[in-house]
Amino acid sequence: MRNRLKVLRAERDWSQAELAERVDVSRQTINAIETGKYDPSLPLAFTLARLFDVPLEGIFFPGESSEREKTA
Amino acid sequence: MSDSFPRKSPPIDGAPVSRSAGLLTKGSVILGLFVLWLVMYFGVRFFLEANPELERGIRMLLAFTPTPVFALFLWSFVQGIRSSDELERRIQLEALAVAFPLGVLLLTTLGLMQRAVELKFEDWSYNHVSPFFGFFYLIGILLARRRYT
Repeated sequence: MRNRLKVLRAERDWSQAELAERVDVSRQTINAIETGKYDPSLPLAFTLARLFDVPLEGIFFPGESSEREKTA
Repeated sequence: MSDSFPRKSPPIDGAPVSRSAGLLTKGSVILGLFVLWLVMYFGVRFFLEANPELERGIRMLLAFTPTPVFALFLWSFVQGIRSSDELERRIQLEALAVAFPLGVLLLTTLGLMQRAVELKFEDWSYNHVSPFFGFFYLIGILLARRRYT
Protein backbone atom coordinates (compact mmCIF):
# COMPACT_ATOMS: atom_id res chain seq x y z
CA MET A 1 0.00 0.00 0.00
CA ARG A 2 1.30 3.44 -0.89
CA ASN A 3 0.61 6.58 1.10
CA ARG A 4 0.95 10.36 1.11
CA LEU A 5 1.65 10.64 4.79
CA LYS A 6 5.02 12.30 4.36
CA VAL A 7 3.58 14.91 2.00
CA LEU A 8 0.64 15.68 4.30
CA ARG A 9 2.95 15.92 7.29
CA ALA A 10 5.33 18.22 5.41
CA GLU A 11 2.44 20.49 4.41
CA ARG A 12 1.74 21.06 8.09
CA ASP A 13 5.41 21.34 8.91
CA TRP A 14 5.18 18.59 11.53
CA SER A 15 8.04 16.36 12.47
CA GLN A 16 7.53 12.59 12.65
CA ALA A 17 7.65 12.87 16.43
CA GLU A 18 4.93 15.55 16.47
CA LEU A 19 2.66 13.51 14.24
CA ALA A 20 3.36 10.41 16.31
CA GLU A 21 2.34 12.21 19.48
CA ARG A 22 -0.86 13.49 17.87
CA VAL A 23 -2.01 10.00 16.94
CA ASP A 24 -0.49 8.32 20.01
CA VAL A 25 2.00 6.03 18.35
CA SER A 26 5.78 5.96 18.35
CA ARG A 27 7.93 7.95 15.91
CA GLN A 28 9.20 4.62 14.59
CA THR A 29 5.65 3.68 13.61
CA ILE A 30 5.21 6.89 11.61
CA ASN A 31 8.58 6.33 9.95
CA ALA A 32 7.70 2.71 9.11
CA ILE A 33 4.39 3.80 7.56
CA GLU A 34 5.99 6.61 5.55
CA THR A 35 8.69 4.34 4.19
CA GLY A 36 6.12 1.66 3.32
CA LYS A 37 7.60 -0.92 5.66
CA TYR A 38 4.42 -1.17 7.66
CA ASP A 39 0.76 -0.83 6.74
CA PRO A 40 -1.24 0.69 9.61
CA SER A 41 -4.33 -0.88 11.10
CA LEU A 42 -7.71 0.48 10.01
CA PRO A 43 -8.24 2.37 13.30
CA LEU A 44 -4.87 4.12 12.93
CA ALA A 45 -5.51 4.82 9.25
CA PHE A 46 -8.87 6.41 10.12
CA THR A 47 -7.25 8.39 12.92
CA LEU A 48 -4.68 9.75 10.48
CA ALA A 49 -7.40 10.56 7.94
CA ARG A 50 -9.38 12.46 10.59
CA LEU A 51 -6.29 14.28 11.75
CA PHE A 52 -5.43 15.47 8.23
CA ASP A 53 -9.11 16.04 7.47
CA VAL A 54 -8.99 13.99 4.28
CA PRO A 55 -10.77 10.78 3.26
CA LEU A 56 -8.92 7.53 3.84
CA GLU A 57 -8.17 7.16 0.14
CA GLY A 58 -6.64 10.64 0.24
CA ILE A 59 -3.76 9.19 2.27
CA PHE A 60 -3.61 5.52 1.40
CA PHE A 61 -4.02 3.95 -2.00
CA PRO A 62 -3.28 0.57 -3.57
CA GLY A 63 0.13 -0.33 -4.94
CA GLU A 64 3.50 -1.43 -3.74
CA SER A 65 5.48 1.23 -1.95
CA SER A 66 8.81 2.21 -3.48
CA GLU A 67 10.63 0.86 -0.39
CA ARG A 68 9.03 -2.56 -0.79
CA GLU A 69 9.71 -2.60 -4.50
CA LYS A 70 13.37 -2.11 -3.67
CA THR A 71 13.43 -5.02 -1.23
CA ALA A 72 11.25 -7.32 -3.36
CA MET B 1 -9.59 21.82 13.19
CA SER B 2 -6.78 19.38 12.93
CA ASP B 3 -4.95 21.05 15.82
CA SER B 4 -7.85 20.35 18.15
CA PHE B 5 -7.88 16.68 17.28
CA PRO B 6 -8.35 14.74 20.49
CA ARG B 7 -5.39 12.70 21.58
CA LYS B 8 -5.76 9.24 22.98
CA SER B 9 -3.66 10.09 26.02
CA PRO B 10 -4.35 13.67 27.04
CA PRO B 11 -1.64 15.47 28.99
CA ILE B 12 -2.17 15.45 32.74
CA ASP B 13 -1.74 18.73 34.64
CA GLY B 14 -0.07 20.32 31.66
CA ALA B 15 2.84 17.90 31.81
CA PRO B 16 2.62 15.74 28.72
CA VAL B 17 4.42 12.46 28.84
CA SER B 18 5.49 11.30 25.42
CA ARG B 19 4.91 7.71 24.32
CA SER B 20 8.63 7.07 24.08
CA ALA B 21 9.24 8.38 27.60
CA GLY B 22 6.42 6.20 28.94
CA LEU B 23 7.77 3.17 27.12
CA LEU B 24 11.24 3.87 28.49
CA THR B 25 9.89 3.90 32.04
CA LYS B 26 7.91 0.71 31.49
CA GLY B 27 10.89 -0.90 29.77
CA SER B 28 13.10 -0.03 32.74
CA VAL B 29 10.63 -1.57 35.18
CA ILE B 30 10.37 -4.74 33.05
CA LEU B 31 14.14 -5.01 32.70
CA GLY B 32 14.61 -4.30 36.42
CA LEU B 33 12.20 -7.09 37.35
CA PHE B 34 13.96 -9.49 34.99
CA VAL B 35 17.37 -8.62 36.46
CA LEU B 36 15.94 -9.05 39.97
CA TRP B 37 14.62 -12.48 39.00
CA LEU B 38 18.03 -13.42 37.53
CA VAL B 39 19.77 -12.32 40.73
CA MET B 40 17.30 -14.29 42.86
CA TYR B 41 17.55 -17.34 40.60
CA PHE B 42 21.33 -17.52 40.71
CA GLY B 43 21.36 -16.60 44.41
CA VAL B 44 19.02 -19.47 45.25
CA ARG B 45 20.86 -21.81 42.89
CA PHE B 46 24.27 -21.13 44.43
CA PHE B 47 22.82 -21.25 47.95
CA LEU B 48 21.22 -24.65 47.27
CA GLU B 49 24.45 -25.98 45.77
CA ALA B 50 26.48 -24.66 48.72
CA ASN B 51 24.08 -26.07 51.33
CA PRO B 52 23.17 -29.63 50.38
CA GLU B 53 22.51 -30.50 54.03
CA LEU B 54 19.41 -28.28 54.23
CA GLU B 55 16.09 -29.95 54.96
CA ARG B 56 14.17 -31.08 51.85
CA GLY B 57 11.12 -28.91 52.58
CA ILE B 58 13.23 -25.80 52.99
CA ARG B 59 15.12 -26.58 49.77
CA MET B 60 11.86 -26.91 47.88
CA LEU B 61 10.53 -23.70 49.39
CA LEU B 62 13.72 -21.88 48.39
CA ALA B 63 13.43 -23.22 44.84
CA PHE B 64 10.09 -21.42 44.50
CA THR B 65 11.20 -18.06 45.93
CA PRO B 66 12.12 -16.50 42.54
CA THR B 67 8.75 -17.53 41.06
CA PRO B 68 6.66 -14.56 42.35
CA VAL B 69 9.24 -12.12 40.95
CA PHE B 70 9.08 -13.86 37.59
CA ALA B 71 5.28 -13.74 37.70
CA LEU B 72 5.50 -10.00 38.33
CA PHE B 73 7.96 -9.65 35.45
CA LEU B 74 5.63 -11.61 33.17
CA TRP B 75 2.65 -9.50 34.19
CA SER B 76 4.54 -6.24 33.56
CA PHE B 77 5.86 -7.59 30.23
CA VAL B 78 2.34 -8.40 29.04
CA GLN B 79 1.07 -5.03 30.30
CA GLY B 80 3.93 -3.37 28.45
CA ILE B 81 3.02 -5.10 25.21
CA ARG B 82 -0.64 -4.24 25.67
CA SER B 83 0.16 -0.57 26.11
CA SER B 84 2.56 -0.53 23.17
CA ASP B 85 1.53 0.88 19.84
CA GLU B 86 0.56 -1.45 16.99
CA LEU B 87 3.99 -1.59 15.33
CA GLU B 88 5.71 -2.52 18.60
CA ARG B 89 3.09 -5.23 19.20
CA ARG B 90 3.79 -6.56 15.69
CA ILE B 91 7.53 -6.58 16.40
CA GLN B 92 7.03 -8.39 19.71
CA LEU B 93 4.70 -10.92 18.08
CA GLU B 94 7.21 -11.67 15.33
CA ALA B 95 10.03 -11.92 17.88
CA LEU B 96 8.05 -14.47 19.89
CA ALA B 97 7.04 -16.24 16.67
CA VAL B 98 10.76 -16.80 16.09
CA ALA B 99 11.74 -17.51 19.71
CA PHE B 100 9.01 -19.99 20.61
CA PRO B 101 9.47 -22.46 17.70
CA LEU B 102 13.26 -22.25 18.09
CA GLY B 103 12.86 -23.04 21.79
CA VAL B 104 10.61 -25.99 20.96
CA LEU B 105 13.11 -27.15 18.34
CA LEU B 106 15.95 -26.98 20.87
CA LEU B 107 14.05 -28.95 23.50
CA THR B 108 12.77 -31.61 21.11
CA THR B 109 16.20 -32.02 19.52
CA LEU B 110 17.74 -32.39 22.97
CA GLY B 111 15.07 -34.98 23.77
CA LEU B 112 15.97 -36.95 20.65
CA MET B 113 19.68 -36.57 21.38
CA GLN B 114 19.08 -37.90 24.88
CA ARG B 115 17.59 -41.01 23.28
CA ALA B 116 20.31 -41.26 20.65
CA VAL B 117 23.27 -40.89 22.98
CA GLU B 118 23.75 -40.49 26.71
CA LEU B 119 23.80 -36.75 27.45
CA LYS B 120 25.71 -35.95 30.58
CA PHE B 121 24.08 -33.62 33.08
CA GLU B 122 27.13 -31.34 33.19
CA ASP B 123 27.23 -31.04 29.38
CA TRP B 124 23.59 -30.63 28.37
CA SER B 125 20.62 -30.48 30.63
CA TYR B 126 17.68 -28.23 31.40
CA ASN B 127 20.13 -26.14 33.43
CA HIS B 128 21.85 -25.12 30.23
CA VAL B 129 19.01 -24.46 27.79
CA SER B 130 17.34 -21.52 29.54
CA PRO B 131 19.82 -18.87 28.25
CA PHE B 132 18.98 -19.96 24.71
CA PHE B 133 15.39 -18.81 25.11
CA GLY B 134 16.58 -15.27 25.77
CA PHE B 135 19.00 -15.57 22.88
CA PHE B 136 16.23 -16.72 20.51
CA TYR B 137 14.01 -13.83 21.64
CA LEU B 138 16.83 -11.38 20.91
CA ILE B 139 17.29 -12.89 17.45
CA GLY B 140 13.55 -12.46 16.83
CA ILE B 141 13.61 -8.85 18.05
CA LEU B 142 16.59 -8.04 15.83
CA LEU B 143 14.95 -9.60 12.75
CA ALA B 144 11.63 -7.85 13.35
CA ARG B 145 13.19 -4.44 14.08
CA ARG B 146 15.35 -4.76 10.98
CA ARG B 147 12.24 -5.42 8.94
CA TYR B 148 10.18 -2.49 10.22
CA THR B 149 12.65 0.22 11.19
